[in-house]
Amino acid sequence: MKKIKLIDVVKWTFLIVMLIFYMLPIYYAVISSFKSINEIYSYPPTLFPKKPTLQGYVEAIRGQDLLTYLKNTLFVAVVATVFTVITTVMAGYGLAKGEFFGRIFLNRLVVLTLFVSAQVIMVPLFVIIRRLGLINNLWGLILPAVYTPTATFTAIQYMKEIPNELLESAKIDGANEWQIFWGIVWPLSKPLVAALTIFSFTWRWNDFVLPLLVVNRRSLYTLQLALAVIQGEYGGIPWNTILAFSTLTIIPTLIIFLLFQRFFMRGIMAGGLKY
Amino acid sequence: MIRKLVRSRFLFVVPSLIFLAIFVLFPIIDIFRMSFYQWDLLTPPMFVGFENFRMMLDDKWFWNSILVSLKLLVVSVPLTFFVPLGLALALYKETTSSKILRALFYWPYMMPAIAGTTMWKWILSYDLGILNYIMKTLGFKPVAWLLKPTPALVAVSLVRLWGLTGLLMMMFITGLQNISSEYYEAAMIDGANKWQIFWHVTFPLLKNTNVLVLTTSIAHLFRDFAVIYALTGGGPGYSTMVTPLYIYNSAFTQFRIGYAYAMSVVFLLISLVITVFSIRAREAR
Repeated sequence: MKKIKLIDVVKWTFLIVMLIFYMLPIYYAVISSFKSINEIYSYPPTLFPKKPTLQGYVEAIRGQDLLTYLKNTLFVAVVATVFTVITTVMAGYGLAKGEFFGRIFLNRLVVLTLFVSAQVIMVPLFVIIRRLGLINNLWGLILPAVYTPTATFTAIQYMKEIPNELLESAKIDGANEWQIFWGIVWPLSKPLVAALTIFSFTWRWNDFVLPLLVVNRRSLYTLQLALAVIQGEYGGIPWNTILAFSTLTIIPTLIIFLLFQRFFMRGIMAGGLKY
Repeated sequence: MIRKLVRSRFLFVVPSLIFLAIFVLFPIIDIFRMSFYQWDLLTPPMFVGFENFRMMLDDKWFWNSILVSLKLLVVSVPLTFFVPLGLALALYKETTSSKILRALFYWPYMMPAIAGTTMWKWILSYDLGILNYIMKTLGFKPVAWLLKPTPALVAVSLVRLWGLTGLLMMMFITGLQNISSEYYEAAMIDGANKWQIFWHVTFPLLKNTNVLVLTTSIAHLFRDFAVIYALTGGGPGYSTMVTPLYIYNSAFTQFRIGYAYAMSVVFLLISLVITVFSIRAREAR
């Protein structure tokens, strides 16, 4: 028989305890979302629904306008991501390979903006969005999110790796800057573009601070804003509906994560901070 | 002129620069400027000099909000250091089981903070929550997690730990994988046991990763808004009212915009200090 080492026992005990701590909330919320109203408010709580029902989901989708919130969230996430990816790849290229006055200064500036998250500049951000007339407008959720320090920083690091000789030889062959960018730099940036797309989409999907500042009209709520607001309302949305709502909004992040796991696991060092 | 701008590749930077100027630089300048005004969004702003800052000195709830952040840091920072480190040590080898487990621990970081926090609220509920049920079954008294000051701070810390672990664990894993195996071999030849290797070889070599994890965790905890907004709303009373939430309430429920600007100045400077440390750690890797 193989000897069991003490260190393995310690390791697996630790992992199992941690796994329970990290997975219990998700498991319990998801199974509770399939309980009926009677069961969810009965005591003692059950670890598995006695009679699984879609009551909570029906209520979340029909009663809560979930489809409107979904439409808003998707619109914001997709449009902001397109803007972010294109401007960021361009900026990364310019900041890494440019030859203009002030390039080093702008690089420093990008690093410094890593500390400016929406939470820090909440009030002036609201004021400028208001002055631009974008309160209660989905563009007010898109435009402020286009420049993202983490993404720009990542793009600069990536572009530094592109060999200068490649750009020089294209120039000698008579290509102009525009052609060099779309013909050489962009195709070489596919992994960067993929990573930025995934991250940007996830950030916008998860975002809460900006929607809270910009939108107070129900028809413009995003999913996360709606989820936070309905919990604060008196008269009570039942818990099975709230949990069904929560479950539906974490599913896309799980799918994105499973499909693109390697991007999250690898690209992580470049940007430690979430915007 | 235009040819020169094209050739120097400056034009590629322009679109981003416009967004940066409007939505980052302008707000920062605006914070300093407007902190000298009194404003309720409706009537025109009125210059009041240092009045907002004087008010801030006397505002016990503002200082309380900083104290709350510090309390949360005292509880959370050790937790968000040692738990991810432990997980990283258990999972840094590239085996199938550790890859699957890593993904599971990373998942909470990926999900929307509001959705994750909502799930926790359900677990922590006083009369319906499964946590209190488990505690009662084990013979403990149920805890009013979100209704009493100290348990609320503990609850916030646990949810923060839960949401942040994935990121910090991956930082440790990257750090551990970057340590060359020669160090371990040398230590093994010298007859060191696993515990000695960890304390005398691994841990010192992780120095920059440690600083990076600590500063990242502090930065995240300090600016956290969504989790506390959804979990406790700053309550009970002001017991979990952190600075960003207090600023938000002053600005958008009391419409003391100028005062909120003045508090933002302090908050911005604190964030700046944390970031400088964090950038240093990042560059030292």
